[in-house]
Formats: sequence, structure tokens, C-alpha cells
Amino acid sequence: MTEPAAPLIEGLGGVAGLSATVPEGGEVQVIASGWKLALREFFDNKLAVLGLAVIVLFVLFCFIGPLIHPSNQSLVNPLNTDLAPGHGHALGTDENGFDEFGRIMLGGQTALEIGFFAATIATVIGTLWGAISGLAGGIVDGIMMRMVDILLSIPLLFIVLVLATKYSGTVVKLSLLIGLWAWPIPSRLVRGEVLTLRERDFVSAARVMGATRARIILRHLIPNALSVVIVNVTFQIADSILILAYIGFLGFGLQFPATSWGDMLGGAQNYVTEGYWWLVYPVGGCLVALVLATNLVGDALRDAFDVRLRRR
Amino acid sequence: MPALEVEHLSTHIELSRATVQAVGNVSISLDTHEMVGLVGESGCGKSMLGLSILGLLPNGGHIVEGSIKLDDRELVGLPTAELRRVRGNEVAMIFQDSQSSLNPTKTIGEQVAEPVRLHRGASKREALDRALEVLELVGLPQPRERLGDYPHQLSGGLRQRVMIAIALSCEPKVLLADEPTTALDVTIQAQILRVLDDLRDRHGMATLLVTHDMGVVAGRTSRVNVMYAGRIVESAETHRLFTGMRHPYTQALLGSIPRLEQDATKPLVSIPGLPPDLTNPPQACRFAPRCPRATEQCRAEEPPLKGEHASHVFACWHPVDGPIELTSQIRVVAERAARLDVKALKPVLQIENAVREYPVTAGLLKRKVASVKAVSDVTLTVGEGEALGLVGESGCGKTTLGKLVVGIEKPDGGRVVLAGEEVFRNRGRALRFARRDLQMMFQDPYASLDPRMRVHASLREPLIVQRIGSAREQEKKIRTMLDEVGLPHNALERYPHEFSGGQRQRIALARALMLEPKVLVADEPVSALDVSIRSQVLNLMKRLQAEHNMASIVISHDLAVVKYLSDRIGVMYLGKIVELGTGDDIYYRPAHPYTEALIKTIPLPDPEAERDNEDVAIRGEPPSPIEPPSGCRFRTRCPRAQATCAEVEPALRSFGPGHQAACHYPLRPASNGDVARPPR
Amino acid sequence: MIGYIIRRLATAVIVVLGVAAIIFALLHWLAPSPAYDVLGPKAQPAAVASWSRLHGYDRPEIEQFFTYLTNLVHLNFGYSYKLSQSVSALFKENAGRSAYLTGAALVLSLIIAIPLGIMQAVRRNTVEDYTFTTLNFVLYSMPSFFLGLILIQFLALDWGIFPPGVSSSITTTWQAFTHPAQLTLPIVTLAAINVASFSRYMRSSALDNLAQDYIRLARAKGLSERAVLARHLFRNASLPMITLVGLSIPTLLVGNLLTEYLFNYPGLGLLFYTALGNLDYNVLLAYVILGAILTVLGNLIADIAIAAADPRVRLD
Repeated sequence: MTEPAAPLIEGLGGVAGLSATVPEGGEVQVIASGWKLALREFFDNKLAVLGLAVIVLFVLFCFIGPLIHPSNQSLVNPLNTDLAPGHGHALGTDENGFDEFGRIMLGGQTALEIGFFAATIATVIGTLWGAISGLAGGIVDGIMMRMVDILLSIPLLFIVLVLATKYSGTVVKLSLLIGLWAWPIPSRLVRGEVLTLRERDFVSAARVMGATRARIILRHLIPNALSVVIVNVTFQIADSILILAYIGFLGFGLQFPATSWGDMLGGAQNYVTEGYWWLVYPVGGCLVALVLATNLVGDALRDAFDVRLRRR
Repeated sequence: MPALEVEHLSTHIELSRATVQAVGNVSISLDTHEMVGLVGESGCGKSMLGLSILGLLPNGGHIVEGSIKLDDRELVGLPTAELRRVRGNEVAMIFQDSQSSLNPTKTIGEQVAEPVRLHRGASKREALDRALEVLELVGLPQPRERLGDYPHQLSGGLRQRVMIAIALSCEPKVLLADEPTTALDVTIQAQILRVLDDLRDRHGMATLLVTHDMGVVAGRTSRVNVMYAGRIVESAETHRLFTGMRHPYTQALLGSIPRLEQDATKPLVSIPGLPPDLTNPPQACRFAPRCPRATEQCRAEEPPLKGEHASHVFACWHPVDGPIELTSQIRVVAERAARLDVKALKPVLQIENAVREYPVTAGLLKRKVASVKAVSDVTLTVGEGEALGLVGESGCGKTTLGKLVVGIEKPDGGRVVLAGEEVFRNRGRALRFARRDLQMMFQDPYASLDPRMRVHASLREPLIVQRIGSAREQEKKIRTMLDEVGLPHNALERYPHEFSGGQRQRIALARALMLEPKVLVADEPVSALDVSIRSQVLNLMKRLQAEHNMASIVISHDLAVVKYLSDRIGVMYLGKIVELGTGDDIYYRPAHPYTEALIKTIPLPDPEAERDNEDVAIRGEPPSPIEPPSGCRFRTRCPRAQATCAEVEPALRSFGPGHQAACHYPLRPASNGDVARPPR
Repeated sequence: MIGYIIRRLATAVIVVLGVAAIIFALLHWLAPSPAYDVLGPKAQPAAVASWSRLHGYDRPEIEQFFTYLTNLVHLNFGYSYKLSQSVSALFKENAGRSAYLTGAALVLSLIIAIPLGIMQAVRRNTVEDYTFTTLNFVLYSMPSFFLGLILIQFLALDWGIFPPGVSSSITTTWQAFTHPAQLTLPIVTLAAINVASFSRYMRSSALDNLAQDYIRLARAKGLSERAVLARHLFRNASLPMITLVGLSIPTLLVGNLLTEYLFNYPGLGLLFYTALGNLDYNVLLAYVILGAILTVLGNLIADIAIAAADPRVRLD
């Protein structure tokens, strides 16, 4: 603190309204802007950076990979089935003769796509539902949340599987299927956040200065609720990929020859018994790595936003 | 030989990024039967000192040097197992927040008995007996019934008594009381402090009273130590500290506290700036950046702690001599005081028979079974440019009343009239327009600003919403307002979390004033701020009140703050106005027993006055606002209560021009000649 | 307290009704009439129509819904034409085995997770904490069947300690109970994922409580660290776990499905899987509603347990 000390007796000298050259409020300590602070916290977290890097790597691998390493993924080749790694197939071939390495890339594309789309659908619907419910209050809130309760009581995978018997096979269908049943989870979170924010003094201050409801929602509530939504999207992506894995494993995933990582693990029991380890562990490893990376990023985001709010 | 002797103690706390030097070279001693005060603001290290003595430092904390001797036994470096035998047994501690300091899922009896079972090896039965004994000692009403209660069932004051009981259960030699009454209402505070006094008298415990409130130490301690930025800056016998202090910080601290008998046209001593960052303390006098007497020597070398007599030491190169005398008035404020005639003002705001009740639901269908009577039939008038204060303890309804005035809450009965019009009947554009004139400054500086909006946006918002001025005019107004509240222009680009509490209150004040309202409601404007920062904001508010000629309603539990900022004061109790009058009326001529109790229980930073203060019998706990007592709501705690008080509710009667009180047996005669009937 | 229980029960009933409505709608959409199952896939439309009319499958939806509800109340979950048994009978046959598997897994996961979470909180930011946190993260991100596969690969196929699947000779719950070697891998697989999420939550709850002042006061009384943890922390940090377990019922059911499939364990999960292949919607949707009922019940019991255990909970 290098500011020269103002006279202890404030009130003598320079009192006629405006302050003297040195505002007696003291120097403002520069820390960082709001989002920048959160970003800095995030990037300080080495695991989070690692997670982000892994996700980016997977995206590149799955989408750009096939351009660099093309392989046959549609014509069944009965002569080349279940080959161990080697002879031009870095990870061997599967029961259709497809190159496993290439298959992983293809499977990853759909996993990422479905994970992302399903998460977006669920979060958009959930956020709107939760926000409206929290803002409306009263009976409307009660009814909307009761509906959420009902949907949350139904185990997600079960209902998705039942519907997958009739409505599955493509990326779009699976994304919709998962997304349309997963939205109740974020809706609860967003509603909780909206309720908390509504009671905060700065919202009251906006009301007192005459702000319209629309303005309060758009300028005050939404920006402050955003952090919860962002964190939630990340976790939703992780969860959607896992659900997709379960669906694929049980055999209700994508239509042949399309595939996802879950579908590729559909015959895993057999592969394991037969000793075709290259058809199980690489895919599984990628799956775990992607979901892990996404969870790490989500966790770090949540901590980063928390720190910013807590910082005084 | 002192019971506790701390010498040259230094404590560091290692955080992930830096090391905080929380306590530096502190020496304190306590004798039996002695109560010693340790005062300082938040962050000065006083709590860390207490925790260091018991070895209860947070993660990363450790004592780096110094000694702590209990009866000549060294505690620093003692193996943990032995230190545990001392804790709760020979040295006990009580904390500030009784709510979170008691285990919510264990009964009171269990928690008070626990140390006895641990240190005395008592059986469950014996320990509970002792618990009962000690709960009676601290004056807990109906202790036997309370043994099976849980902490959340007790009020704050009762919980604090339980904490004291826990500390006493093993008859410790030393008691460390860390802000024991800070979270309590002033009338309850008085009771708790009396308990501590009693115990020191009867049991001879050496007590260290740690607090930020100079008034609390004034009357009951024999010595006071003043702490700043981790160091002891002055230590003296109490009377000497208050009348003949030598350190500028002590002088400024005392001068910054508003007194009840203070001339409200004179400014409060204010200490500019903020306390230093303890992760990198300067190798010089730590108070130098904020000290008006600082010289090069002060900024280069740290002054040692010494004095002419061993009983009065201080650390300053250029000490002062005694308290400061503020003689000159703030010019605008004096001018205003001269021309203001409170009784002849045109009313700008009228609150008529306002009622606000919150429903309490219970049962199967969540029906309303009762209501919290927050505000009951309050009528008040505020004149143009007048400052009205509302004072009362928690639960009296003053904050709710403030919310009714600015329309955050709607009254269940009665009306709010601004300049002749019932504002909140309006809708849409008319309501928005009317809101210009009623603005509010909120209590919590950390919650009243949108954390995602820069200061610039927060200040501009009222102008945008109310469509005032062109963009250029708005810019100009924003900058002018920043100047007025004493903040630099570079604050505009920053976010709220980059400011301290005091700075945020200035921003909140600036925002409230952007619309040049006719009435400004300030809800506990300085309660959340450090003591040395409060006077900055108070002086600022005084000045702005005078310059803008707006009416203001200042709400606070602190009568001194209210008196300093207000022309007239309304005293509230349990939803009702019990007395109304000018500051002088309230202080020199109180008519209502509650007002008198409030005044008498406020701890004064004046040792002689405190010692002469006879006990004001304000008994018991505040009743529940769900079922307020019949008739006069204060009667359950009033020393003058009679049968009439339970049957008939007293109306406001006149005790002088502009001075009213609602009491059947007031302390002075009413204007209509009624002689004050003395209690039987 | 009674009022609270009644209120919660009423809410639970409403929720179950809502679920039943949804499930019924789905059932009606996916399998409006079992005529094809009975008469064969090549049946004439006319025959189908008259069979449907005869058995009441052409009545208005509302009427059918009421019949459906009434049946539910009598624990009649419908009839499986593919397996020629009433669904309730199928449930009864399999329920015991599934309950044993899931129950054992739940108990195992709690026994491990609670102390683990507390230990991690107490030893925050040490090597042990980081190791277990990493392990938890990995487990949490893994599909449960993948863990199962790894266990099968190493413990069953490579080292032969446990069988890779449950032997078909295990047909009753008692047999399952008395042959722990057969059940070890399934129980461990099912428990593992829950351990991850439970201990994570427990760690967080323990950390929150450790930061509270009452822990500091307990230490100030002179209690040893172990006494502080056992007498003060344990109870308060564990209370939220009750809620968590209630909320985990859906996860347990899903895990149960996958585990039974993977290890060929004859329980409700395997039944569900078979029904998926058969498009046996009666069984499928009956299981879904059973799952929903169990979830609602689980939450109800958890809420009541908390209300009984935590004195702070205000019951109105």
C-alpha cells in the first residue's frame, strides 16, 4: 500500500462534498475478472487440463483418424475374422473382419456424437423446465416438480432399453431417446439454483430500482445460473456415453454396420472367453478414458466456479 | 506467578500459495482472578492466538517460536497426548458461534457431561449430575428439563450459556473467551458478560476476553492488549488505555466508534485504507501505511514494544498522548443541523398502520396454524430530508418494515404513502416511475451486488431501467457518484469480488443514490464491516445525507450508529414501536423501560462509566414473535410490569414535542400531566 | 411424526400413480393386445380383432387403465404369453435371488465406503487420499460390465480362483448364499461402482463436517482425534448417506441387470434381458414399474429414517 495517508480527521480540509485527490476507500486490489478467475482456477488444476487434452485428442482421433488411416468398415470379410494384432492390423480384426483400430475410431465418433447431442437435449429441456418451475413458484412449481419426481422414479436405463426395442439404431434416434428421458436430472438442479438466486439481495435490489421481471431473469438470474448449467452439461455427456455403452453392450444400440463403443463390447463375454483381448480392452480402455476425462473436467469446472463465488 | 504466560509467540499458517504470518511476537500474561482483554479487528490474529494456546490451529498452522507457560509448565512442544489432558481441563475455550459449535445431534446433557467423563473418569450418572450443577451455575433456566434438549431447540443466548458450562465443567484455571457475545443481541450480551464476571469472581479463573468491541472490555478487564496485523501494538491497564493511550491505532480505533453522547455534526475518526496482507508483512511498522504520523523511520524499521512503565507498553516511534478531541464539525452537516426543524417538515413518507405477518404451516395439509407477527400496526411519518432511525434487537421487525417501505414485501394491512400517493397500488410504468424515489442499501455487502456484473454495469442499471439520461449523461453521472463515495475510477471495470466489504458498501450506496431517491432505506449499513472501516462509511453517509437532502431510514441494532445518523429515532420491540423521539429525547429522556435497558446494556468504551453502571434488570429471553405476549409485548421482561400491562395494550402517548412512548408505567411523566406511577 | 409419514406416503402414492399412467400408456402403445402372441404371428386381422374384443382389449383406454391399476394393487403384474406364466409368479421366483445379490452388494459397498470416505477426509491431500480418489474416479467412469469383464479375465479365466459365470446348479437363494465362491465376482462387480460414488459422497460429507465448529469444540474439550471421529463426526457425516442410499436404488437395479446378464445369474435382471429379446412387453414394463415402486419406497424409507435419526429435521 503506497497511498499517502489521508488526514485522520476526515472532515477538515477538502470537505465540500467531493473527496480530495486520494479517495479514502483505499486502493482497489486487482485480482482478476470473474470468468478469467474461474478459467485460471481451472487451468491450475493439472488433472483438468489433462482431461481436456484427452477429450480433444479423442475428438481428433475419432474424426480425423479415418482420413489418415482408412479401413473397410462395411463389407464383411469372412477370411479375416478375429485376427490377433499384427499383419497390417494394429489391433487385429473383429468377427466381421473389420480392422479393429478403424472400428474404434468409428465407434468413438458415434459415442461422442450421441453423448454430446443427448446431453444438449437433456440440458436444454431440463434447464427450461427447472427455471420456469423455480420462477413460477406456487402450484405450477408443485405440479412441474411432481412430474419430475415421477420421471425420476423410473430407472433410466430400463425405460430406454424398453423403448430401444422399437426405436433405436441411429445416432439421432438414440440421442433423442436418451436425451428425452434424462432431462429431469438437470431440471432439479437448475430449479434449486433459481430458487436460491431469487432470494439474493442483488435480485431484490434490481426489483427495488424498478427492473422488469424479464430483465431480472435475463440479466441477473440466467448469467448466475449459467455455471450450474455448464457443469451439468459436462456430467451429462459423461453419463450419456455410459448409458450408450450399456445399451450397446446389451445389443440394442446402433444398426450394423454403424457401431459405437458399447456395441463393440456386445460380444465381449465371448471375446474374453475366446481370448480375443484386443477386441475388449482397447475399446473399453478408450471408453473409460473418455468418460474419466469428461468427469475430471466437470469436477474441475465445478470447483473453479465455486472458488470464484467464494472469493472475498 | 501468572496462571498463563505467553512470551514472544509467533504462529504461521501455510496455505497452498503462501504462508500467512498470523501471530507475530505476542506476549500476554494472565493472573488468577484476572480478566484481560485482547482487542483487534478481524484478521488481526487474536483468534489464532487463542487457538495457538490450545494447539487447535487449522490445517497448515503451527507455532514457529515462543513459549506458552501454564503455571510454569511449558505447553509449546508438549506431546499431543499431554496437551489433550490440558484442553478442556485446565484451559478451556468458548467460541463465538454457539450454533455451529454444538453438535446438532447430541443432547445438551451429553455435551456438557463429555469433558467430565473424559477428564475425571466419571460415570454417566455422575457426569450428568455435574452437568446439571454447572448449567445451574451459568444461569440456564430449567436446567433439568434442558438436559435432554438438542441445541437447535435453544435460543442463541441459552446456547452460549451451555458453551460456558462446557468450558467450566472441569473447573479450568484459564478460560479463553473468543468473541463470546458478538453474535448475540445487546440485552442478552449483557447477561452473558455478567455470567463471565460472576464466574471470574467466584472461581478465580484467569480469563482472556478476546473481542473487537472496545466497550465490552472497558468495564470488566484489568488490562487490555490491542492487536493489529498480528502484533500487539499496545498493552496497558484498562483505565490508562482508554484515557491515556499512546499508539495511534488505539487512538483512532476509539475515536472511530460513535458514542451515544456524541455530537452528530462532528465526524468520526476514520482510518483510511485496509489492514495489510499478512502473507507478506512489511519489515516495518505495520500500521504505517494508514497512520497520519508516519515518517520514513516508521516505514523502514519496526518499532519495539516498550514504555516508561512495564505496565504500559506500546510499539510506536511517534506515539500520541491520550484520546483525540474532534472539535470541528462537518460543515455541510452542521449547516443542515442548523436549518433543520424536525417538527416543521413536510412529510414525504407515511407508513400507516402497517402490518406484516408470515404464516406458519403445520400438519397434514400444511394449513396455516399461526403467524409470525413481524410488524404489528406501525405508524410513522418521515419528513422531507429527515433522517429517521429504527433501532431494536433481532426479531423486532425493523428490517421487515424497511422492506415494506421499498416494496420488497407487501403489507398485510395498512399502507405506505409516498408524497401523498399510495405507491405500491400502482402497476407497470407508474410503479416503475414511483420506485425512483424509494431506494435501499442492503446489509450484506457480499450479496447485494450481482457477482457477474462489473461495477460499471451495476451503477448504470438503475439509469437504464428508469430511462434517465443519454449515454453520455449516464457516464458522467456514474463517475460523479464514484467520486462522491470515494472510490477510484478504475473500480468501474472490476467485479464485486475484487473489493473489500467496506468498498462494496460504498458501491451499494452509490447505486442506491443514482436515482436521487426521495427516501433511502439503509438496512444495517455497517454491521458487516470491520470496526475501523465503519467510520469511513458512516462519515460518508452523514455527508451524503446533508448534500442530497434526501430522507433516509437507517435501520440498525446498534443504537450509537442509529443516533449518529438520525434526526429522530424509533425504538422497536417485537413488531411494535415502543418509543419515538429525537436522539436527545431517547438518550437523555427515555420514557420506555426497554429504551432505558437498551441504553444501559450497550457496553460503553469508557471504563468509569461502565463500572458505575448498575445492573439493569432486563430478565429473560425475548418471547416468540409467533405468540407475542398479550397487552404490552415487553411486559415479560420489564421490571416495572403490572397487571394492567397484561390486559391493556399501551398506546403511544406524548412526552414532549415529537417524543412519544407506549407504556403504562413510563420512566417520566407524560405531557398530559400523568404522573409516572412507580412500580410497586 | 405420524403426520409426516402419512404425508410422505400420500406423495409416494401420487408418484406411483403417475408412473403407472406413463407405463400404461407405453404398454398400450407398444403392445395393445396380446392377440398375436396367443394366435400366432400369422393370424388373420379379423381373428385378432375378435379375440381382442373378447378379452377386453378394445375398451376405452381409461377403463383399461383402471383395470390395470386394480390389478397392480392386487399385485397382479400381468401375464407373459412368451413364458406362459403370470408375471407375478415370475417375479416371485426370481426376486429372492436378485434381492440377495443386490443386498449383499449394497452392504459390502457401505462397509467399505463409509470408513474409506472418512479416512480420505481425515487424510486429505495425502498420498492415500489421492490414490483412492483416483481409483474412485476410474471406477466411477467405468461401465460396470467392463469391471466385471476384467474380473472375469483375471480372477476367473487366468487365475481360476472364481468361476466366470454362476453355475446353472444355483437355483435358489439359499444355494446362492451357501456357495459364496460362485457369487463373489457378481457381488464384487455390483458393489464396486457403488463404492466409488458412496465413498466420494462420504468424503465430501466428512470434509464438510470436519470444517464445522463443533469438531473444534470437541477437540477443545481434550478428546483424542479418534474419539472426535467416532463420537462426533461419524454420526453427523453418515446421516446424509441414508438419503444417498435411497437415491441409489435405480442405480442398483441397473447394476443388477448388467451383473446378472454378465454372470448368467438367474434373477430379475436376467428375466428382463430375456424379455427384451422376446419383446415381451408385459414383463418389461412390469419390471419397470416394479423398479419405480422400489425407488419410491426406497426414498420414502430413507426420508423417514432421516426424520427419526436427525433431531434437526422439523417434521412440518
